[in-house]
Amino acid sequence: MIAGKTAEMAASLHRLERAVLPHLSKLSSVKDIVAAARMQEVEVLRALQWLQNKGLAKLTEKIEEIIRLGENGKNYVKLLLPEARFLNSIANKPQTLAVIKKAANLSDEEIGASIGALMRVKAIEPVAAAAEKTFKITESGRQIAKAGLRAQRFLSGRNFPVGINDLSDEEKNIVAELKKRKDVIEEEVVKKRTAAITELGKEVLKKASTATETVDRLTPEMLVTGKWKSAEFRSYNLTAAAPRVFFGKPQPYREFLEEIREKFVSMGFEEMTGPIVESEFWNMDALFMPQFHSARDIHDAYYIKEPKYATDLPRQLVKKVKTAHENGFGTGSKGWRYEFSEEKTSRLLMRSQTTACSSRKLASEDLKIPGKYFAIGRCFRYDVIDVKHLADFNQVEGIVLEEGVNLRHMIGLLKLFAREFCNTDKVKVVPSYFPFTEPSAALYAKHPELGWMELAGAGIFRPEMVKPLIGKQVPVIAWGIGIDRIAMFKLGLNDIRELFSHDLNFLRSSKVV
Amino acid sequence: MPTISFLFKDFQQLLGKRMPVEEFENILLLYAKAEVESYDKRTDEIAVKLDDTNLPYLWCPEGLARLFKGILGQQKGMPKLKVSNSRYKILVEDSVRNVRPYITAFVAKGKRIDDYTLKQLVQMQEKFCESYGRRRQKVSIGMYAYKKITFPVHYKAVDPASARFVPLDFNKEMNLNQILQQHPKGQQYSWILKGFSAYPLLLDDKGEALSFPPIINSSSTGRLEIGDNELLFEATGTDEESVNLAASIFAQNLADRGFEIFSATIAYKGRNVITPLLKPEKVKITPEMVEQGTGLKLNNPQLKQLLERAGYDFVGSYASVPHYRADIMHPVDVIEDVAIAYGYDKIADEPLSSYTIGMPVDSAPAINLLRKTIIGMGFQEIFSHILTDKNSLITGVGAVELENFMSETYSAVRNSVLPQLLDVLAKNKHVDYPQKIFEEGIVAAREGSRISEWHSVAFITAHSKADFTEMKQYVTALLAAAAAKFEILPAEHPAFIKGRAGSIVVNKRSVGIIGEISPSVLSKWGIETPAAALEINLNLLLSL
Repeated sequence: MIAGKTAEMAASLHRLERAVLPHLSKLSSVKDIVAAARMQEVEVLRALQWLQNKGLAKLTEKIEEIIRLGENGKNYVKLLLPEARFLNSIANKPQTLAVIKKAANLSDEEIGASIGALMRVKAIEPVAAAAEKTFKITESGRQIAKAGLRAQRFLSGRNFPVGINDLSDEEKNIVAELKKRKDVIEEEVVKKRTAAITELGKEVLKKASTATETVDRLTPEMLVTGKWKSAEFRSYNLTAAAPRVFFGKPQPYREFLEEIREKFVSMGFEEMTGPIVESEFWNMDALFMPQFHSARDIHDAYYIKEPKYATDLPRQLVKKVKTAHENGFGTGSKGWRYEFSEEKTSRLLMRSQTTACSSRKLASEDLKIPGKYFAIGRCFRYDVIDVKHLADFNQVEGIVLEEGVNLRHMIGLLKLFAREFCNTDKVKVVPSYFPFTEPSAALYAKHPELGWMELAGAGIFRPEMVKPLIGKQVPVIAWGIGIDRIAMFKLGLNDIRELFSHDLNFLRSSKVV
Repeated sequence: MPTISFLFKDFQQLLGKRMPVEEFENILLLYAKAEVESYDKRTDEIAVKLDDTNLPYLWCPEGLARLFKGILGQQKGMPKLKVSNSRYKILVEDSVRNVRPYITAFVAKGKRIDDYTLKQLVQMQEKFCESYGRRRQKVSIGMYAYKKITFPVHYKAVDPASARFVPLDFNKEMNLNQILQQHPKGQQYSWILKGFSAYPLLLDDKGEALSFPPIINSSSTGRLEIGDNELLFEATGTDEESVNLAASIFAQNLADRGFEIFSATIAYKGRNVITPLLKPEKVKITPEMVEQGTGLKLNNPQLKQLLERAGYDFVGSYASVPHYRADIMHPVDVIEDVAIAYGYDKIADEPLSSYTIGMPVDSAPAINLLRKTIIGMGFQEIFSHILTDKNSLITGVGAVELENFMSETYSAVRNSVLPQLLDVLAKNKHVDYPQKIFEEGIVAAREGSRISEWHSVAFITAHSKADFTEMKQYVTALLAAAAAKFEILPAEHPAFIKGRAGSIVVNKRSVGIIGEISPSVLSKWGIETPAAALEINLNLLLSL
C-alpha cells in the first residue's frame, strides 16, 4: 500500500470511523467498543461497516445462545431462593412450619418445594417429637448454609446475561434444574459481534492520528467567523448510497390521459363532457341504438338502483328520437320499426360509452359547424374483471362535423390518428359495424413495437340519429380510439388492472416520462 | 358478436372452388366485417368472429359463401331461391295474439341430413335465436321430422296446466307449468312467458304436440335425426319481420345445400301469408347519393356492377335487397355495401380542410394547476376506480348504488375520494412512511330523486406524527394557490376525531372538510399509522 493512499484514506475518515478506529487495537467486542467510545450502538455498527467496506477492519458476527434472569430469577437474587430463606429461618433453632412460613415469607407451594429440595440434600430433618410439624437444620445443612446453596451462589454470583458456552459443567447442571422453575432463567439466541483492525487499518490509524482535524460540515458560524479558511473538509465517499426519499409525482396513467387531451387540443379538437350517471336516452336512444339492442341488457350495462329515472330529459327531443326509432323521422329511413318506450329512455345507468357526450353535444345550442370535438371519459361495463377487462375504464372518442365530408375524409382522419398515436403510416382500414354509423370502419395500424393492432373505430353517424339532434342533415364523422393498449404499452403494463393500481411502491417507482 | 365454426372444406364446397385460408381471411376482413379466430389444420375446423350483429345471414358457412361468390364475381346480383308451392298449412288461433303472435314455416326435402349438416343447423338456430332473436324472446326456431307430422299444424295458446307432452331430453309426460319449472330449458327461458296465463303450443292435426315455443320441442316429433331427408321448419316470435327473416335465411341456406323448399301457408285470422316471403324490397340509389356518402365518383354501370357484387339486383335506379337481409333501413346502408364492394383499401383518403380551434373543457386548466401544486407539496397522485364498495361510502351523503352489480367491490359510485385513499394506506402498511397521497376525480351523490356529480380532491398524510397542523399547512398553501380566502370552523364528521375536524369555509360557504382520521376509522381499515386528511369540492371552490 502506497503511503499517499493511506494518507488519503485517513483524511476521508468519517467522524464516526475516526472515533471507532482507535479502540479496535485494544478491544474486540462491539459491546465493549460501544462503552469505550461512548457512542450509540447503531453509530458504532455503521462505522464498523464502513471501515470493513474500506478494508480497514473486519467485522464478525457469531450466533450465541445466552441465558438471562427471568422475573423470579431477579427476585431470588434480591430475596434469595425460597429454600435458602427456609434454611436461614431455622439456622439458630428448630421452628414450626407456621413460624418458618412467616419468617421466610413463603407460600404453601414454596414451603412444599423447599422441604423437598432441602430433604434431598439432607440439609434439614423433621423433629419427631414435636406436636406441630417442626424442622431443624442438620450438620450438613449448616455447612450448606455457610457456603450458600449451589443455585443461590450461581444466581447471585454471575453477571447476567451470560453465554451458555461460558458456563462450567456444574453451572450447566444448575441451569438445567433452575429451568424447571417458572420464570427463573430465560434463554435467548443473540448475535455477538466482534471487530478487529486490519494491517491496512493500523497504517491508516497511524496517519489519522497525525492528520489535521478535518471538518465534517460547513456551519453558518464558520462562515461568520472566517474559521472556514483554516478548515480542511473531510472527503466524502460519493458512491455511498443515500437514504431514499419520496417526492410528489403524478400518477402515470392520469398523466398519459392529460397528454392525450393536449394532443387533441393541438389538433384543433374541442373537449366535450357529460355526466357519468346517464340516461338511456343520451347513452343509447339518441344514438339510434334500438331499445332491444343487446348492449342495453342488465348483463352489459350497470343500472342505477335509486332513483331509476331521469326527470330532466328534453321532452320535444325525446319525441323526435322516438319517431326516428319507430319510423325514421322523415329521413328516408324505415326506422327500427318497434314501439319506443319513453319509460325505458329515461332509465338511469352508468355511462357505457363516451358517445353519450357526442349525442349531448350534437343536441346542444353551442354546436359549431364545422366543428371538431373529443371526449376523454370514464365508462362503465358489466364485465368480469381480469387482465383485459375493467368495470370502469376510460374511452377517448369524438366527432367531426362539416358540410361535404364523407368516407374519404373519414379514412384520412383515421390515417392521421395512426401517425399521431402509433407513429406509423402502415394501416389497414376495413369495414366494421356500429349501430349508429353507416358506413363504419375499423383502423388497424402497425405499431413499431406492438405489431398490428386495432387502433380505432369510426363511422358516419346515421341520418336517423343526426337529424333529430341537430334539426338538419349534416355529415358527422364519429371515431373512438382504443387508448388502453397504447397506455399499457407506454407504461410497460401487461395487466389492465394496474392502470388504477393502489400499490404505492409501484406508483412511486413508475416512470412518468 | 357471434362466433361460429365450420369445416373449411364445407365452405369451399359451398363456394364451388378451392381457396387458401389466407385469402379467405383477407376477404373476410375486407368484405364481411369478420375475422378468423382460429383454424385447426388437422380437423379443418375454422372459427370466425362476426362484427355485424344486424346481419345474421352471415353467421353460417352458407351465408359467407354466398357473399364470397358475389365479391369474386361468381354470382351476379341476388341469388334466386326456388320455392315450390304446397298445401302445407299452419292454422293460427287468435289466442296467440298477446303472447307470441307470429309464425313462419316451410318444408325442405330431398337431401340426407348428416351429422355435420345437423350440427350446422343447430349452431345457426342457436346463434340466431340467442343474439338476433334476443334470447328467444323475439324469435325462436323449431325443426321437426316431417314424416311424423299430420298437416295442417295448429298454433294456439293453451292453459298451461291442461296441455301435456313429453319434452326433449325427458321421458315422462309433463304439463307446461312442470316443463317451465323442471326442464333446464324451461328454467332458462321461463322469463319470456312471465305474466301470461296461456302459453303457445304447436300441435299437428292429430293433436300430437310438436313443441312449446319458445321453450322446448316434443321428444316424439320435435327431433331431427341423422338420416332424415325431410324437415319442417318453423319460427315463432313477437316481430313478424324477424320471424320472416329467420325463414328466409334458413330456406336459402337449405336450398344452397341442395334441398327443395316447399312453402307453407300461414292462416292468421282474416289473412293468409305464404312463407318464406320472397318479395325483395327496393331502395332508390343514384351515383350522386353514393358520391355524397363516400366521395366515390361512379357512373351508372359501375354502380350496377358494384351492387351486383354486393348481392343486390339493380334496375332503373332501384336496388333490390336480398330476401335474407333485414338490415337495410335507409339508402346509407346500401351505399356502405357499394363502398365495401369497391374495397375500402382502394378508396383514396382526403384530409379535412376546415380550420377549428382546439380547447380543453373549462375545468381542466384549473384542476391541472391544483394537481401540480399538490404534487409540489410532495404528494403521490393516485388514480382509482369511480365504482366502489357500497360499504365503504361516506355516511351522511346520499349513495348512488348500482342495481345489478356483479361484485360488491364495484357496487356503488363513490361519494368521496377519501375512502379510496384509506384503501391505499391499508394496502401499503409495509411500504416506507411518510405516505402522502392525493387523488382528484369525479364523485356523485343522491339527494332525493336528484343525482349530482362534482370534482373532488382529497389528500392524506400518514406517518407517526401526522396531525391536524400539518394538514392545515397544506390547505393554506393550496388555497393560496387558488387565491381563495378561507377559514376553518369546527365541524363534526364521521371520519375525523371529534374536536379535530373542521369545515373549510370560503366565501361563507363550506367547500370541504379537514381533520385527523379517527382511530375507529383507521382500525376499521387495519391502518396502524396516524393520518390526517382533507377533501375539497372543486366545483364549489372553483365555481365550475
